[in-house]
Amino acid sequence: MSVIAFVTGGTGFLGRRLLRTLLARNVHVRCLVRSQSGIDVALKELSPEQQQRLQFVRGDLADPDALESHLQGVDVVYHLAAALNGSCSTMFLNTVVPSRGLMQAAAKAEVGRFVQVSSLGVYGTASLRRWGTLDETTPIDPQSEHRDPYTFSKVRQEAIAWELREQLGLPLVVVRPGVIYGPGRSLLTSRVGLSLGPLLIRMGGGQLLPYTYVENCAEAICLAGLTPGIEGEIINVVDDDLPTGRRILRTLRKNGKTVHSLWVPRPAISPLSALYAWYSRWSEGQLPPVLSWHKSEAMWKPLRYSNRKAKHSLNWRPAISTEEGLNRTIAGLPGNFAS
Amino acid sequence: MSASEKIRVAVLGCGQIADAHLSQIQRIKSAEVVAVCDTHLDLAWQAAKRFQIPRFETSFARMIEETRPDVVHLTTPAQTHASLAVELLQAGCHVFVEKPFTLDAQAAREVLSVAVANRKLVCVGHDQLYDPAWLTCKKWVQRGLIGEVQHIESILGYPIDGKFGAQVAGNPAHWVRKLPGGLFQNTISHPLYRITDFMSDVQPEIMGGWRTRPGMNFPTEMSISLQGRNQSGSLTFSTFLPPQRLTRVYGTQGTIDIDFDAQTLRLKSLTKLPGAFAKLEAPWQHVRNSLWNLGNNLWRFSKSDIHYFAGMKHLFQAFYDSIQHGTSPPILPDEIERVTYLMDRIFVHCREQEPRTYRMEETKLLQIPAPENEVSACL
Repeated sequence: MSVIAFVTGGTGFLGRRLLRTLLARNVHVRCLVRSQSGIDVALKELSPEQQQRLQFVRGDLADPDALESHLQGVDVVYHLAAALNGSCSTMFLNTVVPSRGLMQAAAKAEVGRFVQVSSLGVYGTASLRRWGTLDETTPIDPQSEHRDPYTFSKVRQEAIAWELREQLGLPLVVVRPGVIYGPGRSLLTSRVGLSLGPLLIRMGGGQLLPYTYVENCAEAICLAGLTPGIEGEIINVVDDDLPTGRRILRTLRKNGKTVHSLWVPRPAISPLSALYAWYSRWSEGQLPPVLSWHKSEAMWKPLRYSNRKAKHSLNWRPAISTEEGLNRTIAGLPGNFAS
Repeated sequence: MSASEKIRVAVLGCGQIADAHLSQIQRIKSAEVVAVCDTHLDLAWQAAKRFQIPRFETSFARMIEETRPDVVHLTTPAQTHASLAVELLQAGCHVFVEKPFTLDAQAAREVLSVAVANRKLVCVGHDQLYDPAWLTCKKWVQRGLIGEVQHIESILGYPIDGKFGAQVAGNPAHWVRKLPGGLFQNTISHPLYRITDFMSDVQPEIMGGWRTRPGMNFPTEMSISLQGRNQSGSLTFSTFLPPQRLTRVYGTQGTIDIDFDAQTLRLKSLTKLPGAFAKLEAPWQHVRNSLWNLGNNLWRFSKSDIHYFAGMKHLFQAFYDSIQHGTSPPILPDEIERVTYLMDRIFVHCREQEPRTYRMEETKLLQIPAPENEVSACL
């Protein structure tokens, strides 16, 4: 009998690839959407036969009654929907609050698996030495309220998932992808540096970036829902042969792209961040508290990132190499840009 | 309460605007936030965690009972303002209500009368009246630099794909969409009170209306003219404009432009020089204005006095001072009622005008075929 999957965030950057991956494995997919936007793009990428196995259901994550009916007969829930920007309270309202409702509804509907797509950003790095290895045993950041709103909301969302696993027996698997890139997304994320108008402030350049190509990531998430016997597991998803900021800039320039940047050497990043944080506090927020020692260590500390567990537990291999992923992404970029 | 004691503040409602309240209250030495509350546990939790507040609650009755705040800031959706304000006043708290004060003037009067009956103070979030740029403008007007104020023009640019606009536009169930005055009820009080602050006519005549931009199914644009006996005002709200808050005050001797986002003021006096010399005097005034603004903002930056919500801090401080010293609140009850009633009248007027206003997609030019004889003449 065919598996029925329920997907949230299925019309987004990662979600569309997950739909394709699931449908390629003959899964029947029920995808929750709020409006028409994105449906046409998602459908265009599918064959007529795949479209028949895909059902879009209109609804709101904040509506528990609707969720209950949508989750009837579902084997696996893939929860991808999340606010990517906005203020902290907006992120909580749009990500954390509805996630709690969805998880409660999923537990009540007795789904076979609940895959929570979290983020590699939730880890704290204080316990790791420079060039230490970050893996699933690394503790969560205990001061996540001092990080960016996205990371803070993801830490809370995960905490709720684990709490409901304890209380309601939610059959939880947590996937923590690194930075997801691919055509349509910039390679110059905040892991490489910060945008200041037309200028990129490059933070170091030699540290490895925990990147994962969008299709590789979709494959791992798909497997996290279908692989038996991994309830209660956490799985990090990053590719092999991780790039550095320097390599990304070199590749961009080799492909004729112009990036105007200012380099901050790695040893100067944390002291400068601490100085900025002091000024932000002293001026009572005249400059927003976007940088601190804690944040800069979490973002730019040189580390190694392990994907051993994903390979072992899910039998996953990143099908697209980093070189190929970078080239595919760059092929869709405009000429001159800083971010 | 004694003036030496710290004001104990609680915040009810932990959405986006609560962040602004919390960050500005924490800048006030004479106040401390003792609790935050929201019906969503996670929202209350995140606010408490980020602003290091000792207590978070999901029940406001429990919060009041256990923390006994002097003041409660009401930052919940506007539909709940009146009933919650009444309950809080009856529970013995002074109340600061985020704008819009209530859904209509009737509810505003009820809240204000409960405040009087319970001997508590109420204030509304008309914070731009306490913005440093606005205070300077008022000082200049009082010094007679532009003569008698005749007209006030107020503009609010509010992109529909902006931070808050996108949430309202993308979610038909959003609380703002359910307000009697829709999007405008949550936004136009700012540009409106910037007009009424200078306008002596309490309830001027209203002209104009609202429109719906293509692709939207609720009114998004507003253009209103207020005609008093001696003064006039115009209010423009546009989702086509980038975010901006501008006001121009026209006097008998000149004008003052205030840009709240840039924190700049431009004073333009009537030129005194004759003929072509006047064309040199006007640009010289621009140069003087630019130099003054650069100097002023550099000085304020050095004192770390440039904050987006500076007006909010000064308004809170003035409200807390009025509580501690037993004086009138910074925004008087009459002004609260006046602005709320004026908004009621604007919405009624816009609704009445609706059948006569076109939806914007219907206003495209008609394709009228050229008369046949003209076509053949061209051939």
